[in-house]
Amino acid sequence: MMATNAAAYGTGTGMDTAGLRKRAGGAPEYTSLRPEEEDRKKEVKPKNSGVDIESVLAPIIFTVLAFFTRLYKIGQSNIVTWDEAHFGKFGSHYLKREFYFDVHPPLGKMLVGLSGYLAGYNGSFEFKSGETYPPEVNYTFMRIFNAAFGALCIPLAYFTAKELKLSKRGAWFVTLMVLCENSYATISRFILLDAMLLFFTFTTMLCFARFHNMQKKPFSFEWFLWLVLSGISIGCVCSVKWVGLFATAVVGLYTIEDLWNKFGDLKMPVHVYASHWIARIVGLIIIPTLVYMASFKAHFIILENSGPGDAQMSSLFQANLRGTELGNSPLEVAIGSRVTVKNMGYGGGLLHSHVQTYPEGSGQQQITCYHHKDSNNDWFFYPARDQPDYDANSEELRFVGNGDTVRLIHVQTGRNLHSHAVAAPVTKADNEVSCYGNLTVGDHKDHWTVEIIDDSSRDKSKLRTLTSSFRLRHSALGCYLRAGNVNLPQWGFKQIETTCVKKNNPSDKYTHWNIESHWNDKLPMADVKAFKSPFLKDFIHLNVAMMTSNNALVPDPDKQDDLASHWWQWPILNVGLRMCSWDDKVVKYFLLGNPFVYWASTASLLVFGLTVLVYLIRWQRGYQDLSEEDIDQIHYSGIYPLIGWVFHYIPFIAMGRVTYVHHYYPALYFAILVFGFLFNHLCERLPKNVSHVLYAVVYAITIGLFVLFSPISFGMTGPASQYSYLKWFDNWKIY
Amino acid sequence: MFDSAAGVRQRGKKKSGGSGPGSGSEDEPLIRKPHVAAAYTPPIALHRGYQVALAVITALAFATRFWNIGYPNQVVFDEVHFGKFASYYLERTYFFDVHPPFGKLLFALMGWFVGYDGHFKFENIGDSYITNGVPYVAFRAMPAMLGALTVPVVFLTMQESGYSLPAAITAALLVLFDNAHIGQTRLILLDATLILSMACSLLCYIRFYKLRHDPFGRKWWKWLLLTGVSLSCVISTKYVGVFTFVTIGGAVLIDLWNLLDVRRGLSLQTFGKHFMARAFGLIIVPFMFYLFWFQVHFAILYKSGPGDDFMSPAFQETLADNALSLSSIDVHYYDTVQIRHKDTKAFLHSHRENYPLRYEDGRVSSQGQQVTGYPFNDTNNHWVIMPPAPFPDSQRLNRPVRNGDVIKLHHVQTNTDLLSHDVASPYYPTNQEFTTVSMDKSYGDRHNDTLFEIKFDHGKAGQDLKTLAAHFKLLHVPSKVAMWTHSKPLPEWAFKQQEINGNKNVAQTSNIWFIEDIPSLAAGDARNTKEERKVKHLSFFRKYFELQRAMFHHNNALTSSHPYASQPIQWPFLLRGVSFWTKNDTREQIYFLGNPIGWWLASSLLAVLAGIYGADLITQRRGIDALDRRTRSKLYNSTGFFFLAWASHYFPFFLMGRQLFLHHYLPAHLASALVTGALVEFIFCPEDSVEIRDGKKVVVPGNKQAYIGAWVATGVIGAIVLGGFLFYAPLTYGTPGLTPDQVLARKWLGYELHFAK
Repeated sequence: MMATNAAAYGTGTGMDTAGLRKRAGGAPEYTSLRPEEEDRKKEVKPKNSGVDIESVLAPIIFTVLAFFTRLYKIGQSNIVTWDEAHFGKFGSHYLKREFYFDVHPPLGKMLVGLSGYLAGYNGSFEFKSGETYPPEVNYTFMRIFNAAFGALCIPLAYFTAKELKLSKRGAWFVTLMVLCENSYATISRFILLDAMLLFFTFTTMLCFARFHNMQKKPFSFEWFLWLVLSGISIGCVCSVKWVGLFATAVVGLYTIEDLWNKFGDLKMPVHVYASHWIARIVGLIIIPTLVYMASFKAHFIILENSGPGDAQMSSLFQANLRGTELGNSPLEVAIGSRVTVKNMGYGGGLLHSHVQTYPEGSGQQQITCYHHKDSNNDWFFYPARDQPDYDANSEELRFVGNGDTVRLIHVQTGRNLHSHAVAAPVTKADNEVSCYGNLTVGDHKDHWTVEIIDDSSRDKSKLRTLTSSFRLRHSALGCYLRAGNVNLPQWGFKQIETTCVKKNNPSDKYTHWNIESHWNDKLPMADVKAFKSPFLKDFIHLNVAMMTSNNALVPDPDKQDDLASHWWQWPILNVGLRMCSWDDKVVKYFLLGNPFVYWASTASLLVFGLTVLVYLIRWQRGYQDLSEEDIDQIHYSGIYPLIGWVFHYIPFIAMGRVTYVHHYYPALYFAILVFGFLFNHLCERLPKNVSHVLYAVVYAITIGLFVLFSPISFGMTGPASQYSYLKWFDNWKIY
Repeated sequence: MFDSAAGVRQRGKKKSGGSGPGSGSEDEPLIRKPHVAAAYTPPIALHRGYQVALAVITALAFATRFWNIGYPNQVVFDEVHFGKFASYYLERTYFFDVHPPFGKLLFALMGWFVGYDGHFKFENIGDSYITNGVPYVAFRAMPAMLGALTVPVVFLTMQESGYSLPAAITAALLVLFDNAHIGQTRLILLDATLILSMACSLLCYIRFYKLRHDPFGRKWWKWLLLTGVSLSCVISTKYVGVFTFVTIGGAVLIDLWNLLDVRRGLSLQTFGKHFMARAFGLIIVPFMFYLFWFQVHFAILYKSGPGDDFMSPAFQETLADNALSLSSIDVHYYDTVQIRHKDTKAFLHSHRENYPLRYEDGRVSSQGQQVTGYPFNDTNNHWVIMPPAPFPDSQRLNRPVRNGDVIKLHHVQTNTDLLSHDVASPYYPTNQEFTTVSMDKSYGDRHNDTLFEIKFDHGKAGQDLKTLAAHFKLLHVPSKVAMWTHSKPLPEWAFKQQEINGNKNVAQTSNIWFIEDIPSLAAGDARNTKEERKVKHLSFFRKYFELQRAMFHHNNALTSSHPYASQPIQWPFLLRGVSFWTKNDTREQIYFLGNPIGWWLASSLLAVLAGIYGADLITQRRGIDALDRRTRSKLYNSTGFFFLAWASHYFPFFLMGRQLFLHHYLPAHLASALVTGALVEFIFCPEDSVEIRDGKKVVVPGNKQAYIGAWVATGVIGAIVLGGFLFYAPLTYGTPGLTPDQVLARKWLGYELHFAK
């Protein structure tokens, strides 16, 4: 705030004399175009005549160079480097078709899996960090596949710059900055998601710029084409990492502004305006959603075997995986059935009890929720005390249905699930739930009423394994059994606190339970088809689970993480990241950007903001420096990339989770675009030979620094001390 | 930036009037000169109406705030904190708190007026004031008075903004009969000061803005500076005062932007003067006042007290009878010392047990002697500080240890030397193990691994090492790791003592240790006879910056949960309150809660206002102009200013990680009351018309009968708000006790009231 004010004041005083002169001379309030500007207009014209060799040749040359920088010595390091340990492993899961769980959406990892498939890899390698690749894993091919995405970013940047109406030299500069960005070059060389994320971010920006230029021809074929391509691109970027949502937000903001402008166009017929809306809803909301959902559909189809990620999903989903115990049980639950009961809240566990007692409150046996399979999770359904006793030997079957009152008896200890008006240990507002009495000792506070909320067959008359979700209402107190995500202290082994909540909130997922495993000799095994899990439910469940675990990735104050860095360190290139062990024998990669690109692009954000402020102040003072086209170009080629940078950067400030340098890379692209635009804009206002020299200088610095720092991207062999000349700052731990 | 760029294209279209918070009813081209603006002053009869209303409202405000103020005669809720701070001021002992000093100084002033000595420390909720002899009524009278004055300020804000009498009364009534405002301001809490200064800031800025046609005049300066002083009081009471700066700052920026407009005809010099005047009045002056309160704070608290631990040793030595300056002793080579970890208070300890060969996770150890952290006094905590190479026997005495020295630590009981090496520690594969080695190895091939550097935290090179006062890190010389420990106990093989290991992240503040004492020091040693130490002096700015940093640090650390904490989203809907105080035998309780009717009304009218803005933007975009210019100007400039005040006092809370309570909404609630008043006028009052008389444009108020609608609305709102207030009054004043039925009748949204059974 202070800085802007001061700057505003500074420029104001600077312009003062000009303002006075103008008034003294009695000149008209708005100055006409200045002569230089008219000159420039003349210059621009002859460009479009004939075939432009540059527009064909330049992208080809850049692409060739891009493939060189991304592929050179790509297979040199034969060990699992950095997060290859994660993403390579996830790729293996696709090849082995085992269900796993991860915080990122599946598209990028499926592409990794595809690269492994194409490389003829069978998925058996464990991708342990730092391990050497065995001969049967063609990791070079997998890396090349990934690097192709990184290399293709360069022509995309070139075309985007062209669509943003930068001059030839400006477009080359933008392209060169992306090409010679060491961090992009480095991160594209490994089996990671970032190259794909960058690729789809770049395509989104290209589609956005291209679609904007199509605005003059609404509803033409090309207009539709780019709209749909934007949609697909948004869908893809969001399906690689959720960071893609920020790119979506840029396009969304543009769309809102566009529709608002059209709303003010009183000449536009209503049906045309409505068509604009419909086209955008289809193109930018429905298509991306479908792409996103399709990636999950493919994910579920491919991963058909039980694997390490089972526990994150609902019991019903798990029953559909091959090789799991679930689903091999009778369908309908009867009195006398032995069951495990799972909480349906996200991250919910199995209803559990053990001989340890509460240290406070009633002092009775503890009830918790527990994630691991254990015989202490088993419960018997027993009739209420006022009903005829269960006779194990009789053939009679009494099914449990909606509204029935039952007792739940803990198999291992023989005690009843019980609640009373004693405050729960942590959530004091709720009643404590304990295990109390035995078959004969006990009272009516052991009675629970089954309330079936939902069943995939819509028939609530019987409680069914896996498919029914139900609540347990305490008959005497009217409260509901609940397991929120609250952990007990050490005396409860940090298991989840289970309480009886007084408030009747039917939509509270943490009060919903389902029968996960079910044993009853008297009942026939259920048909597997009975346990169909609807895609939409699984999709939503998995997404919420991803969100929950993403938020749980908070920095642990007890655990130091040398690799993590803070948001403020990124734009000023304060830190780099060692991607592998720093042993002399290892080929070492250091994740660090091109210093010029980083520092200049960060500075340009500020300079660009000040430039806009100066233009605004001058406009408010009655000067007209800019033509309509100039303003339009600043708006779409300068301000939108700036907004893109803000959207990709600011959220990381607010984010509580652990952050790393590569989180800045999408934002960096937007900073590069702002810098390219600003440089282009200023150079257009300089004499031609001066601007030529300036361009030559920045080209040279960009390339020069890339070459200087290329060892960190291409791999440093031998002792790191050889490269100590690159350690410009202490935090660049190259040596 | 985005908007402005869009605006660029609209250049040449008509501008929708000047923006700013003042009455806004005068549009620039319409009335230019101040004396014409004066034509807007209401007629005498109406003016009398304002005066009478103001007097009545003020009287009622004092009545509602002061009624039964002596009850309960016990410590209620956060009086625990703020009462205690007042006592510390009166005893002049140093304390630490996350809030700036102004609000607390006011309480201290009140205590000083009535001659209280600060002996009672407000330890627990429910402690009796009577038996402890605390002048609590005087203490409470101070916020109650400020709280009562808030109501007339609200009324005047509406009046000065040019709203009609019913509108002004409506706004004032919403604050007057609000249980939350009353409940919070008749107890020893900071919020009364905060809310009054926030309301005064709005009022002063509006007065200032109304003088815009007479810039740089005496009155103009007066109100500008008063705005600055009010702002300063807000920020010096609590840091949420920043939001008031945002409100006023937003309005000032819009105003400056309009002044910059070339059609206003201001030269850049004049604009520069405007800019500088505001920067001076609204930034520099408030900041000076803010610093002034800290100077007062330091000047009063000259004795050592409970806040010492939060400050650095250098700071603590500026306090009189400080433990550090009393017992801090220089440490010399060959002294036997006990070394203590600052965060966990564990001593560096070793004993004749070795690390197990294999840990549970399969990693192996060096099987060296265990080095652990142990919190109790023990001779196994004794270490001798040795130089790397022994001094000649004759020169062993009186060789001080200094910052930056490389030392060896010798364990007395086992006759071994401390060592660290590249073996993983029991719990942390990334951290180095600490162990000890025998003397022959220590002076043999392992010599280098036994060397440690003493590096002071914020110290100068060559400074002397002292007990207690010097905080240092112990860096292992060959590997550059820092000695570190943490609170997770080791398994049974180490008797559940703490793990000591070498932390590669040297910068962490948890690596800090200090020398607790020197057991080897003979009682008669010269170092034990202390000369009368002088209290040291530190410059104000060093003290200020240190305190400021500590305050921000601890403010962010207030994240623990509280049973009555709430989320910002719950506040406008008044979903839950805070239980302040209960008394079982009489079934009395104080439950901090707003007047639900008033709050819901105010919140729903905020939604209505947002709806009006939205509808107006949309219709204007389609070329339909539903409002006349004067109404729109008032709606955006004046009501918009109130709306801005509400938004900037409310939305930032969503970004805050610390624990939040309902009372954080009170400033925003006050702004929402202003919006409510303004909307009553917008909805029920006729539009004023403009006529041309004698060639001048003059504003003619709408005719008098037409105000009946507004009066009826005010009457109805007043009646139901009063009803709601009286209904909840027993929970606000803590008396009388309620029967279970009466309590149940008040549990509207599941408010967690006591004594419902």
